[in-house]
Amino acid sequence: MVTLFGKRIRLFRPRTIWIRRVVQWFFFLLIALIVFNHSLVESGGGIPFLASASLHGVCPFGGVETLYTYFASGLFVSKIHDSSLVLAAIVILMSVLFGPVFCGWICPLGTVQEWVSKIGKKLFKRRFNHFVPLKVDNVLRYLRYGILVWVLYVTATSGKLLFEAYDPYFALFNFWSTEVAWTSLAVLGVTLVLSVFVERPWCKYACPYGAVLGLTNIFRVFSIKRAESTCKADGACSIMCPMNIQVDSVKTVRDHQCISCLECTSEAICPVAKTVLFTSGGVK
Amino acid sequence: MTLTSKPLSVMLFVILFGGIALSSAMGWWATESTKEPAAFTEGEFAGLANPADIRGSYTFGDIANSFDVTPGILAQAFGIITDDPATFAVKDLEVLYLDSGYEIGTNSVRMFVAFYTGLPFDLTAEETVMPKSAADILLAKGSLTPEQAAYLETHTVNVNEPASAVEPVAESTPAVEETHDPVAEEYTVKGKTTFGDLILWGVPKETIEALIDADMPDPAMKVKDYASANGLDFETLKPALQAEVDKVKP
Repeated sequence: MVTLFGKRIRLFRPRTIWIRRVVQWFFFLLIALIVFNHSLVESGGGIPFLASASLHGVCPFGGVETLYTYFASGLFVSKIHDSSLVLAAIVILMSVLFGPVFCGWICPLGTVQEWVSKIGKKLFKRRFNHFVPLKVDNVLRYLRYGILVWVLYVTATSGKLLFEAYDPYFALFNFWSTEVAWTSLAVLGVTLVLSVFVERPWCKYACPYGAVLGLTNIFRVFSIKRAESTCKADGACSIMCPMNIQVDSVKTVRDHQCISCLECTSEAICPVAKTVLFTSGGVK
Repeated sequence: MTLTSKPLSVMLFVILFGGIALSSAMGWWATESTKEPAAFTEGEFAGLANPADIRGSYTFGDIANSFDVTPGILAQAFGIITDDPATFAVKDLEVLYLDSGYEIGTNSVRMFVAFYTGLPFDLTAEETVMPKSAADILLAKGSLTPEQAAYLETHTVNVNEPASAVEPVAESTPAVEETHDPVAEEYTVKGKTTFGDLILWGVPKETIEALIDADMPDPAMKVKDYASANGLDFETLKPALQAEVDKVKP
């Protein structure tokens, strides 16, 4: 840490939150193993001491999808179990505390998009994640709320997970299965291709669960906050943000697209100590 | 309070796995179906298993454990030929009927079980079709409400023919020559007529039993086969049955 022009600057700072990568890998492998084990168990085998739930059994969005049916009739929609409701409640608690950390740290589909995006970063350098015109991008960002309303409506009226036929997350972990609709495989394919150009395209424009969790950004306990008194206004935080949020133009990030990845903070890209913080208190 | 990535990651694990452990201790954590459908919570049927909660992962045996219907009846209703119907999984029906073009699956089983056992079932939630073999059993049982019978009339399908070529049985308007009378054709007792057909056409179960002087046979059984197996003369029985059919023919 050195002081330059009256500001404390860290010379050797991590440019990324490495532990987030570890956590992402952990949950990707965990879900993959659980789903793989489920297939083994159905065919009479199975890995000892490992859960064998179906993907729906460990998906918190199923808990959101079944809410209407559960309260209206006391039943779950097809393929959803108690565990989905429990996970939905846990993730909501996490999100109220820390924002959509599920998206930034846990969701395997977000992780896979980030992995593919590394190709785009190498190919396009600074142009990566800036291909969509701002005006179009601003409108598209609300598309996921429309998708959320549609998903909740069709699930409530049919009692079935109709979204499964378009869900890239389901396709990602069941692509070998005959249960996967070609439409969900196509959506997964498009998502992965777009990830070469845009960071987390599914999360930004289409994810209905991200839409739900994104709302907690408005009132979450711990938020990304920028200390204007020490900020160098170099824009590093905004450039680094995978969701293209202009962190350097606000004091507290309340954007509905923040995924709490912490990549903008002074722990990662921001060169000035204690300037962009993940905090429940105020900053100067 | 300010958090950095390491304590945040620890807190995520604690909240997630702690929450799962807590819910597990409370008995709320279930990633798979218990094979026991949820019960009706109110009304006349409160406490009884709800057919609407039958899952694709259930076997016919699981259904038999919760409802008054045997795996054999379910297998007969859905045309399953197996030595052990109790092990047949409901979700396999969709695969089995894939080529028929009709969506006969979990919801068809739910509806069948509800109709068979006299439990309520929401007919407005989803268009559900029933194979003719299942409808025959329900009609022969004779316990359908008028609403259920009317629904069956328009939602029974003949799965022996592809969906593209056949409409639901009661809605069928076969492409025929101008001189052909489809109603007369349908309401004619022939060698391939089953007891289920007679019931479907509206002949009362009691009338059939009186004519054959025995309890109602398997609805899927052809009248001709029954006659030859029981020493009856089909050519004598046929006009008697036809007379009853003519009485109820629209």
